[in-house]
Amino acid sequence: MANPRDEILDWSEQGRIAPGRLRAALEAGGALPDANDWRRFLDRLLLWMGTVMLACSAIFFFAFNWAEMGRLAKIGLVEAPILGALFLLWRLGLERASGRAVLFAAALLTGGLLALIGQIYQTGADTWELFAVWAAAILPWTLAGRLAPLWVLWLALLNLAVSLYYLTFGFLWGFVFAPQRLMWMLFGLNTGALVAWEACAAAGLEWLRERWSARVVATASGTLITWLALTDVFDWRSSSHWGLPLWLGWMAAAYAAYRRWLKDVYVLAGGVLSAIVVIAALFGKSLSHSDAGGFLFMGLVIIGLSAAGGWWLKSVINEQDGGAA
Amino acid sequence: MSSTTRAMLWDRLAKASLVEGALPEAGEAASPWFIRVMLGFAGWLGALFLLGFVGAAFVAIFRDASSMLVLGGLACAAAVAIYRVAPKSDFMAQFGLAVSFAGQAMILVGLADVFKRFNPTQFAVCFMLLEAVLFVLVPNYLHRVLSALGAALAAVWLIIDAGLFAFAPAAITAAFLVLWLVEFKFERHGPLLRAGGYGLAIAAVLTSVLHGGLWLGWLVSRGHGQPAGGEAVQWLGHAASVLVLVGAVIALLRREGLELGSGQGRVGLCAALILGLASLKAPGVAPAAAILVVGYANGNRVLAGLGIAALLGYLSHYYYSMQTTLLFKSALLAATGLALLGARLVMHRWWPEAKETSHA
Repeated sequence: MANPRDEILDWSEQGRIAPGRLRAALEAGGALPDANDWRRFLDRLLLWMGTVMLACSAIFFFAFNWAEMGRLAKIGLVEAPILGALFLLWRLGLERASGRAVLFAAALLTGGLLALIGQIYQTGADTWELFAVWAAAILPWTLAGRLAPLWVLWLALLNLAVSLYYLTFGFLWGFVFAPQRLMWMLFGLNTGALVAWEACAAAGLEWLRERWSARVVATASGTLITWLALTDVFDWRSSSHWGLPLWLGWMAAAYAAYRRWLKDVYVLAGGVLSAIVVIAALFGKSLSHSDAGGFLFMGLVIIGLSAAGGWWLKSVINEQDGGAA
Repeated sequence: MSSTTRAMLWDRLAKASLVEGALPEAGEAASPWFIRVMLGFAGWLGALFLLGFVGAAFVAIFRDASSMLVLGGLACAAAVAIYRVAPKSDFMAQFGLAVSFAGQAMILVGLADVFKRFNPTQFAVCFMLLEAVLFVLVPNYLHRVLSALGAALAAVWLIIDAGLFAFAPAAITAAFLVLWLVEFKFERHGPLLRAGGYGLAIAAVLTSVLHGGLWLGWLVSRGHGQPAGGEAVQWLGHAASVLVLVGAVIALLRREGLELGSGQGRVGLCAALILGLASLKAPGVAPAAAILVVGYANGNRVLAGLGIAALLGYLSHYYYSMQTTLLFKSALLAATGLALLGARLVMHRWWPEAKETSHA
């Protein structure tokens, strides 16, 4: 788990690296970038920052709603970069970093174009429809792109579409808008995405194995089910009473998946934090303002649980490190 | 890292005469950042209940500022003692963290009550001193990161309160850069430097991504933090951010033993100038880019990841910031984006790709 940098710094703190030679040790251990690494890093940095900034500039431009510009000019101005991006993509191909960056920019610009069409022709579409159509429009590119950030963008658009849909129609369905329904929808969406993500990665899709993207989705799923469990604990008005049982199921599944199968300590750490919060809520809700002993007990329970959780997580890391030998 | 990889790493260093003797026993792996975040959050939650205990058991204390200050001071002293008596115990480390948080909260409430008659400057100075003392005395990494963050935010508050808000991103970024650029030079103080460096990095993100709007509004509503010197001082503050970024790139090039006029030097300076100029009107870009680049230079993935998150966060925040119109922001982003892509093309000419990859 630890990288060469952490290991060498640890040896340095133990006094095992010759004095004044820490940097040399880090260089020799491959912990610092060499000239080729630097070139690759700057190349990617300039490419991605430049591309994302250009795409954002187009979106900002149309959000300004420039009245002095005609309809055709506006549409031409956003379609031209999309066509340009697609032309570049055709020339560069998806195997090159620049090709993937151009595809990402085209996906962002598509949202700008859809918003612009809604703005010019007053289509009457709700905001949720913009995000839903945007997600549908870029789905073929997302499938073809084999690019984790593009899938994260696509999932974020779906989350936005679902959230805005519920905000729009919550009242129309004849009942007071219940945030819990939305949370259940989002939980289902993100948990389904997480399962599909991990299954596809396990099935051999190499480009889905970058852990950061799966962790983003796992964080969304875990946060939502923890929130739903808390609504049960505090018995809020719209509570479904399914939050706590499903939270237990989620925790068990996460343990099985990320302790036994995949071994991702990030998700396990999130699970520990979720358990601490839910346990604190379970005990804390019965405390009265004057129950000094109860507050002290709860404080010590949380401290004990977190210390034990930290110890367990570190032992999992050490076990992985040793076991990988 | 597996034991085989550890042994190979040790052998490689031994062959380069950088280490001697047998491979040390595998110690406890350094906790990854997410375990520290979990522990920090749980410590804060535990502190809330401890505060509840004090409030329920000693009601009179919460009604008297002096008592709060005394009890808060005692709690902080107890936290220092806990960390020093049992530095290896996970439970005591968490207990010390919660006791320290509770003590600091009591001191803050006590100070806020006392300084109703004074001003936020004294409040911030006292808090900064408290955090500095705790940073030195408490021998715990997580606690030191949080103390450094607290002290840095208090310093930013002082800068804003002095009416020099425009200089805050430059000042906090400069402090952050100095610590990380000397990380390998003062190896004996490495743990202190790294803890302080992470605290300053988080403070730089908070200051640059939110760029102080909330704080400024709060201070100005109380008659403090009115920008001093008008437009000229604002421009000077933004120019300071450009200088800090360019200065950091020069220091980095020197540290790596590269000439400023070399291909690498010209590319680095060119990129720094483009991002620096963009920062004149988008002040979060330079600090976020500095965190990313220094993180990469020091082989620190956590810091580099924080820089990427800060850049993305700033772009999202920039859309809603009210300083300029969307049209102006669009033009600025387009110009910066084009300049960066142009710089990439120039880089391919000035610094062509090596035919063979060689590692040290």
